[in-house]
Amino acid sequence: MERICCISINHKNAPVDIRERIRVEPADLQAILTHDAEACPLNTCNRTEVYFTTLEKASLLKLLEGLSGVDGARIEKVCEYLSGSDAVRHLFMVASGLDSLVLGESQILGQLKGAYRQALAANITDTILNKALHRSFRTAKRIRTETSIGAFPVSVASEAVELAEHIFGDISDSSVLIVGAGDMAGIAAKRLKDRGVKHMHIINRTLSAACDLAAELGGYALPFERMSDELAASDIVITSTGSMHPIITRDMVASAMKVRKNRPIIIIDIAVPRDVEEAVGKCYNCYLYDIDGLKAIVDKHFVHRETEAKRALEIIDEEVDKFEKWLDSLSARSTIKDLFNLMDSHIADQLDSLSIPEGEKTVVENTLRASYKRLLHRPVSFLKEHPEIKYIENVRRIFQLDEDFSDRHKG
Amino acid sequence: MTITIVLALYIITSLGFITYLFFRKDSILFLIRFLYAACISAHALFVITLWHSSGRLPVATPVEGLNALILFSSIAFMPFVMKRSTSILAAFFLPVAACVLAFIASPLQSTPGVLTASCQYWYPLHTLSVIMGEAFFVVAAIVSVVYLIHERNIRTGSIHSSVSALPPLTMLDSILYISLSLGFAAITVGMILGGLWASAVGLRFSHIAPKVIAGGLTWLVFALSLHQRLAIGWKGRRTAIITLIGFVLMVLLFIIINLAFPGSHGIRLI
Repeated sequence: MERICCISINHKNAPVDIRERIRVEPADLQAILTHDAEACPLNTCNRTEVYFTTLEKASLLKLLEGLSGVDGARIEKVCEYLSGSDAVRHLFMVASGLDSLVLGESQILGQLKGAYRQALAANITDTILNKALHRSFRTAKRIRTETSIGAFPVSVASEAVELAEHIFGDISDSSVLIVGAGDMAGIAAKRLKDRGVKHMHIINRTLSAACDLAAELGGYALPFERMSDELAASDIVITSTGSMHPIITRDMVASAMKVRKNRPIIIIDIAVPRDVEEAVGKCYNCYLYDIDGLKAIVDKHFVHRETEAKRALEIIDEEVDKFEKWLDSLSARSTIKDLFNLMDSHIADQLDSLSIPEGEKTVVENTLRASYKRLLHRPVSFLKEHPEIKYIENVRRIFQLDEDFSDRHKG
Repeated sequence: MTITIVLALYIITSLGFITYLFFRKDSILFLIRFLYAACISAHALFVITLWHSSGRLPVATPVEGLNALILFSSIAFMPFVMKRSTSILAAFFLPVAACVLAFIASPLQSTPGVLTASCQYWYPLHTLSVIMGEAFFVVAAIVSVVYLIHERNIRTGSIHSSVSALPPLTMLDSILYISLSLGFAAITVGMILGGLWASAVGLRFSHIAPKVIAGGLTWLVFALSLHQRLAIGWKGRRTAIITLIGFVLMVLLFIIINLAFPGSHGIRLI
């Protein structure tokens, strides 16, 4: 029976200079696939993987070498090769975000679904990989539902956005002020933009840098002198400058709060040393968070995620077992056995429903058995002559031999 | 309809909302919204039954007043229950309502009688208006409690469990402001109607002095809260705290007056 195999070049085992060069498209795989082989490539910024059946590892490595220009021996050294249940477990872990850089993140599931759609369009997957991928989506969904692994932000920027949403609700109409045009401020600003924030102002000592970030985010750049005015007009302030002294003082915020008529303001200070005086946090309706405070919250979430990951692994083991059972059932012999078991259970059900003497039951049973055998004779003979997966799968579906036959094509 | 059925419905719905506080499932929400509507319907039916059996509006005694206050407060919470982001507020209100209802259930069934004073139209209008205002203050007080809890959670960063997933602060503040405004308007109208009723039936000030003073004090606290908000811009925590102070004052005065000056409203049942 075909086994699922996987070649994975990911953030755990391969340096970025290799990862960034290796990318496999479905069209590349079409060239090396034999008629009954299946494959599905997955390319993200942290991993390039190929799930496949009936393919030689060597031919795939050769393909990767040809596509990337990286020496085959080097690829073999850094790549992870898995087969059988290990490969299935790996696929389920990837789909659930348990193999991701940020434990439990959900973006990978969308990427995997996209990769699967492309593979389907290129007609390079069939029964086994289709089933495995659908199972992986289902496992990921189960983990999302049954654990809270994805419920806790794990970056300072995400946490800041979440805090703002707890204060303002929908933040798309909130005014955001970004102080500083460095990377950290940029990341936080992008997270806010992802949440639909429309009004974004960027203040920086060097106006040209503010203009660059403003152009990238679709906001407005302002000179540093406008800081006090903008504090009064902004609901969310994110500050990350290289200043050695606080640039936002309590007096500035207190004056701004008067103009704002005490409308709440959230100030996220991710600069080291801090850009905002500690006393600002005492201003009425002002919510101040510095980098230590945010990191402490995020760290708590990491601990929580790891606890939840243990529960998620139990779900994965359960789902891998189910998949393996299904895979084992994909032989003509076990399918025929299942068909006769089905026949036995039907006969037993029918005999139970009859209220006739025991002696007559034996006669009825023999008659029923003979009829069923006659009925099953053709599919059984056909399977013996053509023990191919597609026929086995069809028989299993027609006779509903698998408990999950109906959800086979659900994403 | 009996008070036992109403009370049972309140208790079951309270438990449903508490469950929803911990497990945010749509199926639970659908069920508890239905139960909430059943609570209000059953309670309204019970009040109508009381009205029918006594031949007067059942708001003449403190116990009847409390009963009506719970019904009005439940109705005032209805729009929030129907809105997904605020439905959880009922988890903080219903258990309190169920406890008060359990406390008054027994005396409520044994307070028939007719009023000594001729009431005409002013008395029911005055009473209903005041109870409506108090119901909005109940909403304001519950929202204040939720605001203070949620604000504390946000300051400490404890916002990710389902229990701490409460409505956003600005939304709570808006609800607080609207409830206070409506409550204040209703109480003001109620006090004016009360004056008209007192003069219509010829009640002397000495009869109603405790009620007038208590009502006036509570009215002043809420007036102060609204004034500070509109004139000085007290939003959020301060409004929540002052609302809670006003509400506690209202409850204390209600208890003290009804214990120390029974019949101080100038009416009694015979």
